[in-house]
Parts: sequence; C-alpha cells; structure tokens
Amino acid sequence: MKWLLRVVDAVRPTFEEGGKLHVLNPVFGALEHFLFAPSTRTIGAPHIRDPMDLKRFMSMAIISVVPCAFAALYFFGLRFLAMIVVSYAAGLTVEALFAIVRKENINEGFFVTGILFPLIMPPGVPLWMVALGVAFGVFIGKELFGGTGRNVFNPALVGRCFLALAYPKAMSASYLAPSVDSLGRLFKYASAVDGVTVATPLAMAKQMPPKMTSISHLFLGSVSGSAGETSAILIILGGIFLLLTRVANWRTVVSILGSFIVLTGALVAGGAVHYEQLGLLNSVVWHLFAGGLLFGAFFMATDPVTSPTTNTGKWFYGIIIGSVTVLIRNFTGYVEGVTFAILLGNIFAPILDEAIIAVRIRRLRSEG
Amino acid sequence: MPEPDVLHLPLRSQRFLFSEISVKDGQRVSSGDILAKDPDNYAVPLLAPRAGLVRLKKDENHIVLEDIAKLEERADIAEEELAHIKREMGATGIKQYKLLVLGAWQFFYDAYTGALPDPLGTPQAVIVSTLSLEPFLARGDAQLHKRLLNFTRGLEQLQSLLEYQPIYLVMPDSKSEFANQIRNHIRGYAWVRMFEIPLIYPYDDFAILARKLGLKRSEGPIWSVRTEGVLAVDRALTSEKPCLVRIISVGGTGVNSPVHIKVMPGYPIKKIRDECVFEPAARIINGGVLTGEILGQETLGLDVECRGITVLPELQEREFLGFARPGWDRSCYAPCFLSSLRVKFRERYTTGLRGELRPCVSCGYCDEVCPAGIMPSLIHKYLYRDLIEEADEARVDLCVECGLCSYVCPSKIDLRSQLVESKDLIAKEKEEIRQEQLRQEEARKQSEENNE
Repeated sequence: MKWLLRVVDAVRPTFEEGGKLHVLNPVFGALEHFLFAPSTRTIGAPHIRDPMDLKRFMSMAIISVVPCAFAALYFFGLRFLAMIVVSYAAGLTVEALFAIVRKENINEGFFVTGILFPLIMPPGVPLWMVALGVAFGVFIGKELFGGTGRNVFNPALVGRCFLALAYPKAMSASYLAPSVDSLGRLFKYASAVDGVTVATPLAMAKQMPPKMTSISHLFLGSVSGSAGETSAILIILGGIFLLLTRVANWRTVVSILGSFIVLTGALVAGGAVHYEQLGLLNSVVWHLFAGGLLFGAFFMATDPVTSPTTNTGKWFYGIIIGSVTVLIRNFTGYVEGVTFAILLGNIFAPILDEAIIAVRIRRLRSEG
Repeated sequence: MPEPDVLHLPLRSQRFLFSEISVKDGQRVSSGDILAKDPDNYAVPLLAPRAGLVRLKKDENHIVLEDIAKLEERADIAEEELAHIKREMGATGIKQYKLLVLGAWQFFYDAYTGALPDPLGTPQAVIVSTLSLEPFLARGDAQLHKRLLNFTRGLEQLQSLLEYQPIYLVMPDSKSEFANQIRNHIRGYAWVRMFEIPLIYPYDDFAILARKLGLKRSEGPIWSVRTEGVLAVDRALTSEKPCLVRIISVGGTGVNSPVHIKVMPGYPIKKIRDECVFEPAARIINGGVLTGEILGQETLGLDVECRGITVLPELQEREFLGFARPGWDRSCYAPCFLSSLRVKFRERYTTGLRGELRPCVSCGYCDEVCPAGIMPSLIHKYLYRDLIEEADEARVDLCVECGLCSYVCPSKIDLRSQLVESKDLIAKEKEEIRQEQLRQEEARKQSEENNE
C-alpha cells in the first residue's frame, strides 16, 4: 500500500495550513487516519502502549451489531441498507461540520451511533425521518454537550425519542411485517407504502383481547418491531461477543436483565400482569425477548460515555433501567419503554457516580 | 563487559544533584574517593568507581575520569567527622554514617515519598524487596545469584541498625527454587517477617507494599531497599569497602539478547549501545519501559541510580488499516484482537503511540488497572477543569507513577504525566502552606516575647 500512502502524502499540503482546502482538514485527517495508522511516538514514560485505540474500541461495537443488521436486512429488505446509508450521511455531515467549526478531529464514536440508529428505527420509516432523527440526535444529544465523551444522553436514543414524540403516528405505522419467504427480503426493497405493516408484539399483547406472539418467533426474529431488535438469538450472540471483548461492561447488562426478570416475575406471580396462555416462566421469557429490551441492554445502555463510570454505579444504573422498563411496559399508555428507561438511566448516571465516588473518596481518605 | 578507558559520571540522577564538587581538575583520585556531594540529600557522595585522572570541564554536567586503572579501592572516611558522629550517636550512628559515605545509602528509599531517607534517622519499619517486576529490569534473583550468603549477612547488618522495628522481606509467592532457598536461609531470623506477593507489576512498588503492610505515612519514614541495597549494606559494613559496581539489565525489544551486566557508574552508554543494540533507530531508556526516562545525547554515562537500560525500536512505518487488523501478534489488555485466543507470547514492542489522542470515553480500564486504587479517569477530568483541590481530595498523592493507566488508555491520554504533574504541584503548594504557617508561628512567638 506504499502507493496509496504516497498519494495521501502528496495530497496533504492542500489541506494543511495555507492550503486551498484547509477548512476540510478534519475530514481529510479522518480519512487519512482511517487508512493509515499515525506514526506518532510516545514522548515519555510509559514508552510502550497498548495496541487498543478508540477506532478498534468502536469497531468492536460495530462488529457486535452486524448479526442484527443482517437480520434486519433479511426480514425487512434492502430498504434497511438505504436507512444505514442515510443515517451515516446525515450524521457524518453534522459531525464533520462541528469538527470543522471546532477545528478538532472527527471522532470515531459517531460510527457506532450511525449504525445503531437505523437498528432502533421502525423498518418502514421514511428516509427523511432517518436523516432528521440522526441529525437531531448527534446535534442535540452529543455536539451541544461538547462532543464525544461529554454527552449525557445516548445520541441514537435522543434521535429516536425525538421522532417518537414528534411523529408518533408515522412511527407506529412503520412497523413492517417480517418476510416469511425462505430467502427473506434479501433482494427486495419494501417500504411502508407497499409492504404490510402490523403492530409490534408488545402492542398486540396490550390489545383487547390480547394476542400473544409465540416465543419461538420472538427468539428467531420473524416478528415486527424496530429493524434490529427482533431477533433475540442474534442480539444475544452479538451481545456476548461485546461482553467478551470487554468493550461493554457485563455489570450493566446483568443488572438490567436481572432486575427486569425479577420484577416481571414478581408482577406475574402476584397477578398484576396476567397472560392467558403463558405460565410464570414463559411470561417472563416472553417479555424478555419481546421489544427492544435485549437490544437496549446489550448495545445502548452499555455505552461507556453515558453510563456511570463506577462499577457499583453500573449496578444501580442497570436496576433503574430494568425496573423502569417493566413499569412503563405494564402500567402506562406506552407499549414499549426501553428508550425512555435508558434515557432516564442516563440522567441518573452522573448522580450515581457522584454518590459512589464520594463514598470511595471517603474510604481513600485514611489510606497511606 | 570490557573495562572502559574513560568514565563519564553524570552529576544528575533521578533523585540526586551532585552540585558540591570536592575534587580539582587534573587531580588523581583512587577508587572510592568522594568526587562530589549532593548538599540537598544529606550530602550523599558521588564516589570514584575507579582510580583515574579527574577532568571537570570536558563534558557539561559530567565528571570525567580518564586514565582508568583498577586498583585496590579505599574507604574515603574523614576521621574527625567519624569521631564527631561517635560522640553524638554511638556505634549505630557510625554504621549509618558509613553506609552514607561508602555509597550504600543511595540504595535506600522512603516508601511513600521515594526520596532518600535521613541516614541518621530511625525508621518505623524496613521493607526489603527481592523483586523487581517492571518489564526488562534487573531481576532480584539475578542479582542474588551466588550471593545469598552476602544477602543474609546484609540483613543481619541492617537489623543491627534497628532497635525493635520490623524488617519485612518481600518474596514472590511462588514455589520456585530461588524462593525456597531464601526461605531456608533466613529460617532462623525471627526478626525478619516474610511477606509474599504475586509476581505482577507493580506489586513490588514500595508505596504499595507499605500500604499493604498497613504502615502509615504519618508514623515516620519507612526505609525500603532492594536486593542490591542489602548487598551494598553487607559490603559497606562487613568488609568496609565502598560500593562501586552494580548489576543492571540491558533489555528491551531493541537489543540483540538481553543481559545482566556488572557495571560502575559513569560507564559509557555508547559502549553499551555498540555492544548490545542492533536497531539503527532505537530509544535508549534509563530504567524500565513503563517508568524510565529517555537517555538523551547529552548523557554520556550511566548515573549512580541506574537500574537498567531498556532499548526500544522507534516506530517507523505507518500501518495500512491498522485498527482493522486481526491482531494475531499484538497483545492487548482487553481481548479485542485475535491474539487473545493465543497462549502467552512476547510482543515486539516499539515506541508507537498506536492510535490518536481522543477525549476520555470513560471505558474504565485505567480504574481497573490502577494498583493504588485511585481513579485516574476521574482525576483526569478534574484536572481538565483545573479542579486541583478535588484532585487532591481524590488522593492523587497515592499515585505510584507505575504508568499502567497511560498504557491501557484507548484514548491515548497521557494520564501518568498528568497525575505526576498535579501530584508534584499539590505537594509543593502544601509545603509552601506549611512553611508559611511555620513562619507565622515564629513571628507570633517573637512578638509575644517582645511584649513580655
């Protein structure tokens, strides 16, 4: 790849101080460092560094949602590819504009937001809404707080929350029915106009009389719902990969799912929630697999920036998200509550950190 | 290693600055003579490692010894000073004074501050570590090789300086031959308390050991010394000879084959370079790979505190799509490369930063690895906002400067130097406040006396 490096070296002066395209330097820098790792050296102790950088860190998150993206492609069609492209294009524009204004580098964090956002959107949603949502999420949810590492809320969820509140009808009418062909919709472009839209499993369970989707469908993913949230098995596989790489912290996932299972189990056992055909265990499993809980627990809540930094904080954070999800799902007018629950968890994260750090510092006071 | 013709003794080392030069240009000295002293560190001496001709002006910040000869070394002790110490301090005082002037005291550290302890003071405890766990540095067992008797004798000498204070001997918790041997040797010494630690860097750090042993900073100095220091104590007190040579390591990924060598301070670095280093572009580091200092062109010889020379090849090439490589050959803290499927292996490290500087994403890796139990990412955020007081509250002073936080950081933030800088700043401010209070106290007393 020597020739490519020569090309990059030859083009660089155009983007440097005094060059014609100096304004676009962040864009060029991002591209250059995407292709070629920088040759920066350490300047003092420690003289060696771990090979992990933020690019690798974020790549791991992207790899872990690839199975879900394939499931979305399979069940809902080529339209999903278009959603990814639009999401990246719109989000990157906002990100690049801010980098240019701030004269900073483009950060890798966006590449995760860009793929997560279409995965949590209803698959039939108009493309302009994808663009609007992701731009809103990146702008309001991240850049206004100061960019990567400083945002309080998960940008993808901010975008989704905005769309859900601003266009509730369009959103709920965009849940495509999954394909039932053996080849899926791998070669078909379906939209809300020509595809058949149906209610999500959670919505159907709240109808009168309730209609329960079978657990096996929820497990495999052949149900309607947000593009990436339907297939429980693929989410769990990708999620376990993410936990094994230690990019996501297992404490968050365990405490969300644990508190969710315990609380749902308690509600079912206590008779507050009742499903005709299902027993106690099956009701809990059904709720676990339905909707966006697994996707949220594995990929959205584990975002290190917006979750608490302390491990103890992560336990409480998970419990808040898990229990709020149960409460919203069962006792409010909304059928699904993961988005709101995680955003609420994000609000609590700094407070939890504050309290736990205070305790830790008090304990450190007598040391040494 | 071959005997050198010329020695370049640097006047500066990590802790010392030998500013008080006690020889003249062109003077002939024999080995063991005091060349210079550090007035700020209890007049710790810089000894002539060999007999030779002194040149003061040849190289800046160095004393050069030319015309080197290996003659019988002598102890350069001023008799009148000795008599004075004897009157004041008795037999123990003389021993401690000998340690200082014979160059053995340089091996002592105060566990918490890392500074040179007062040679005539009394410690609350002594920590003796047989370990040296930083990658590529001289291992304690290599230094002890064939000298176990000297080591135990050194421990006895050390004990004779103390009254009832305990000596903690830090050992690896392994079943190795070496560990068993030491255990057998000191079985009869009731005053030595064994303390076993895992062979993981930086468990051998004196401040961490002191904390693990439950010793408090406020209860007086804690003398800490490694294997080489105990051997030096033995040499100085048993045979009353100056400590002139030390065993250091020459290691790192840029050397032909890592070795332990016996050298004296002032040994020309160029000679080591010619002998051991094959990389054309290599970084020579004084110390280990995680905490050492870069040896610049201006430093010509080994300083008196050198524990090892680490050589790393400088990063030259830019990797195509580096972040997307499977990474079979790179070992990573988090299992994010394929190498985590492999059994343990040695990676060929270079000086590359291996990524770009990014804001902290609170991944929590630094908090996990920090051996001092503080939160580097939190302190980094405090310092970013200039909240020095909060950083002090978060106990940045407990940082042992091991460098692990900088090493693991995926955002490539130089946490170590940030922590070290703020730590020094806080220590300086506190010292200033203390001095100011003393001055006020003094002034108040003065005025009270005047009133009376």
